[in-house]
Amino acid sequence: MADKESSGNKKVSRRKFLVRGGLGTVGVLAIGTYLFRNPIRRAILEKVNSMDIEYLGSTDNPMLWFELGPANEIILHSPKIEMGQGTFTGLAQMAADELDVPFQNIKVVHATTDTGNIDQFSTGGSTSISGLWQPLRELAATFREMMKLKGAEKLGVSVSDVTVADGRVSANGKSLFYSEIAEGVTSWTIPDAPVLKDINTYRYVGKPLPRVDLEDKVYGTPMFGLDAEMPDMVFGAVVRPSKIGAKYISATTDKAEKMPGVLKIVKEDDFVAVVAESYIEAENAKQAIEVVWETPDNLQQEEIVAMMTVGNGTSSIIQKQGDALEGDAVVQMEFRSPIGAHAQIEPNGVVASVVDDKATIMISTRVIGITRKEVASRLGWDEEQVNVVPTYLGGGFGRRLHTPHAVQAAVMSKAVGKPVKYIFSREEEFQHDMFRPPTHHILKGSLNEQGLLSGLEHHFVSGDVGNNSALIPNVLPTILGADVGAIRGAFIQYTAVPNHRSVYWHVDLPFATSWWRSLGLLANTFAIESFIDEMALKADKNPIEFRLAHIGDDEAGKRLKEVIRTAGEKSGYSEDVKDGKAMGFAASVDAGTPCAHVVEVSVEDNEIKVHKVTVVLDPGLAVNPDQVRAQCEGCVIMGMSAVLFEQMKVVDGSLTPTIYGPYEMALMKHAPKEIDVILLQGKDKPGPVGEPPLGPIGAAIANAVKRLTGKRLQSMPLKLT
Amino acid sequence: MKISMQINGQSHVVELTDEYTPLLWVIRDMLGLKGTKFGCGKAACGACTLHVDGEAVRSCSYPVKFADGKEITTIEGLGDATNPHPVQQAWIEEIVPQCGYCQPGFMMATAALLDKIPNPTDEEIDDNIINVCRCGTYYRMRKAIHLAAEKQSALKTTNEPTNS
Amino acid sequence: MKTKSYILILFLLMAGFVLASMYTPSESDYVSVPPSKKNSETPSDVAFHKMMDVLTHPRCVNCHPNDHVPKQGIEGDPHDFGMSRGENNLGFEATKCTTCHQTENNPYSGVPGAPHWSLAPHSMQWQGLDRFEIAASMMDTERNGGRTPEDILHHLTEDKLVLWAFHPGVDAKGEPREVPPVSKEDYIKAVEAWFENGHVIPSN
Repeated sequence: MADKESSGNKKVSRRKFLVRGGLGTVGVLAIGTYLFRNPIRRAILEKVNSMDIEYLGSTDNPMLWFELGPANEIILHSPKIEMGQGTFTGLAQMAADELDVPFQNIKVVHATTDTGNIDQFSTGGSTSISGLWQPLRELAATFREMMKLKGAEKLGVSVSDVTVADGRVSANGKSLFYSEIAEGVTSWTIPDAPVLKDINTYRYVGKPLPRVDLEDKVYGTPMFGLDAEMPDMVFGAVVRPSKIGAKYISATTDKAEKMPGVLKIVKEDDFVAVVAESYIEAENAKQAIEVVWETPDNLQQEEIVAMMTVGNGTSSIIQKQGDALEGDAVVQMEFRSPIGAHAQIEPNGVVASVVDDKATIMISTRVIGITRKEVASRLGWDEEQVNVVPTYLGGGFGRRLHTPHAVQAAVMSKAVGKPVKYIFSREEEFQHDMFRPPTHHILKGSLNEQGLLSGLEHHFVSGDVGNNSALIPNVLPTILGADVGAIRGAFIQYTAVPNHRSVYWHVDLPFATSWWRSLGLLANTFAIESFIDEMALKADKNPIEFRLAHIGDDEAGKRLKEVIRTAGEKSGYSEDVKDGKAMGFAASVDAGTPCAHVVEVSVEDNEIKVHKVTVVLDPGLAVNPDQVRAQCEGCVIMGMSAVLFEQMKVVDGSLTPTIYGPYEMALMKHAPKEIDVILLQGKDKPGPVGEPPLGPIGAAIANAVKRLTGKRLQSMPLKLT
Repeated sequence: MKISMQINGQSHVVELTDEYTPLLWVIRDMLGLKGTKFGCGKAACGACTLHVDGEAVRSCSYPVKFADGKEITTIEGLGDATNPHPVQQAWIEEIVPQCGYCQPGFMMATAALLDKIPNPTDEEIDDNIINVCRCGTYYRMRKAIHLAAEKQSALKTTNEPTNS
Repeated sequence: MKTKSYILILFLLMAGFVLASMYTPSESDYVSVPPSKKNSETPSDVAFHKMMDVLTHPRCVNCHPNDHVPKQGIEGDPHDFGMSRGENNLGFEATKCTTCHQTENNPYSGVPGAPHWSLAPHSMQWQGLDRFEIAASMMDTERNGGRTPEDILHHLTEDKLVLWAFHPGVDAKGEPREVPPVSKEDYIKAVEAWFENGHVIPSN
């Protein structure tokens, strides 16, 4: 497998490197680069269709990627955040192979805004590994070549005579560790065009190595945002409204001021907060603050449902071929999905220190650059005065792309002159989430005489996902005419259907909605793939054969068909109900990664029980197959949770419920006993993995329930009563 | 008031005015043991699970006054890299954690379960392990729980001759 | 308090039709039969109904479910996360009632608590029974664990878990939980009066 992009493209030129050498006597070597100019423009032009957004590096600072330590260990400063998706491990594997060092010598840490190579976009979109595949390997190869050149010089031989392996440069029976090579060096020769290795010679890429953070996570090592501490730290709490659209007017704080441990009440134009000695004291005092809110009329769930109806708001056609469907023979069916919460277990939290003219923000964030910009802006400072230190995330899932709490903590810290820790309560986490928007879908289809689809249409309405997000350049919705997040998974993948179209409707909701793992994919695939199943039943055809008959023969189509075929075979898919269990099939393509699920389902006491899920995914090259499997298993279970249990509702102007339990989620007892993950490799570089396996689960379950009970469930969460 | 407790085998005395302060915050903020996590503060998610006199307790809902004179074990005391608990070994072998935030609570709940039921059935696991994991690691956790049971009973069998 | 003692005196003195009109039928699902409309109620009957106004309240019935799942809240919803009575009414083997519930209400988490927090044994299921059936069940040694009337009197008037109903604390949102429609003092008096008068269950 030749990697055609490995030479030629994106050559790293010498002037783009900064080398810091000789720090102290330990021979620390740091390597930085000015890669990727004007990346946002390129991303828009090249990547918008696939949503395969690459790494968008900072353009103003030299960026620290690798640090070489005295014992030959290499610290990799990751511009991407580790939130469970296994990115640190994959990056370490990629780096180790091109650096030619043992895997265990690599330590991965989060880059900070001070070290420079933060991602100006975010960590998200399942692009961390795929986006860094090329640039990280090029950087590592450059580092290796630098070692090779200098090592040959120190060994007194020609470069062509040395070999590099296990972090050592060797010739004539003598060898030098990288750390020995770097010692005392002040001037480096930097190769212009690093040649990447043949990926077939990689020792680590493609291997199911244990996660680099595994032991820390098993032994309880502090690593998350809420674990962060600073000397002399105190605790803050901000009063947040329970009603949608409530605006802060004023606060009475006399009682709170006298509460135990209270250091200061912080009153700003837009919020009121309290700073106290301990977390509990801050929370207690917060309860004692009386706030006047300006609250709009109490909204109710029925109003939200009425709003979210195809035909409301503004529309744009995102896909169109042939004619619109008309006539009596057209089959039509509606589907709905509810408001979904992120419900990640670590609430949002931050420690901010704003002392003298320097701010340090330790935070679980995925938008380091935005967090920095917002804090600097509120303080009226230059961004250079603000250092954002990201931590491991106790779950991402689309949360932590919005960090106003960092700004509030910074304001509190400035007011008391001490570092302030501020944590969302669980109630606030639910009430002030930026939810997965509710959706409504109308599917239309018609069959020809052969029982094949002659037309297929998907009309859907969604609240904001990418629109009104700081992440998306404002120009993007204008170019596309649609919300880049809401349309994920909304396209008809059955492009061989002669007449097909997908029409997006947008409605502004009165509360914030945004990114939720896989964006529109979960709901859109639930609707489309349920409907395809219904049409297959109508045509009296096997649902797998029916799908295959409508997929094109381009490269993407071929990969999707292979995934569907494999899923059918490996799962032993059958339309028969056996031992009270039925199978359900569904498939989707997200960000270029095709995926199919086959589920085995039974119904007991009207409860849907999922026994087995077969997942077939073609992520391209799996840098760490074990972590790709882990993502598939996680997507299946998180998807099941959303599809079978979860929903937020608007009651009397508030989003409810606000606690686990009433916000019902999948537990251990609901998880399938068997998840069989089969990975295909339809291309020789990594593709997105963290979200695509969420797509098919809803429809797969609904399709199984249909075969078992005859009922077509059309609303998430799927309930038989 | 003054509270004396044994935490992971070490004596600790803390002094605080609000005796209802959840044990969680005493352990995290006063004693600096961050392995026990805050998830909901309502005893709903289980991220703060630790052991009090050998029983699983959700520390966000456990007033520190009840901890007086008790023996407390947190994830840091369950085991470490040099002397891992069978549950931790199993968790490593099955590569269970993703984001990892809920995992200490699950491991503490599992250790308590294996203490009561050395070889739990799937149903006993379903009944007892009712913490919440958002990454969806339940599938690997179940495997790890069974593996931990095997490891623990093997350990006991090995230890028996020397113990008796 | 004054209002309540006044009402108590009224109850003891006034005729049946007034009594009937003063009972506010609880919204709870558990009261499937309205209180007696007979106009020949004795003081014992009055005490009985006052006692049963409490015992039919979700604060009591939630822990006397007709299945194995504790109920919670004024609606009597099944306990979250599939908690169940287990072998000994104390929860499952490792995840027990006391994993979350301590001997006092928790002001921070809103988790209720009282000494020996547990479910009533399955034989003492009250959920779905009317007040007369509940009383019969309560006094039936086959179903009440062989308790004598003295034992029951003690359970009803002195057991801290039972009396928790009058001090149920705040819920997860920090809102006070609803208490039964009779004060603790009046309830205890009524229970004592009913037992003193021979614990006769009025005919339905």
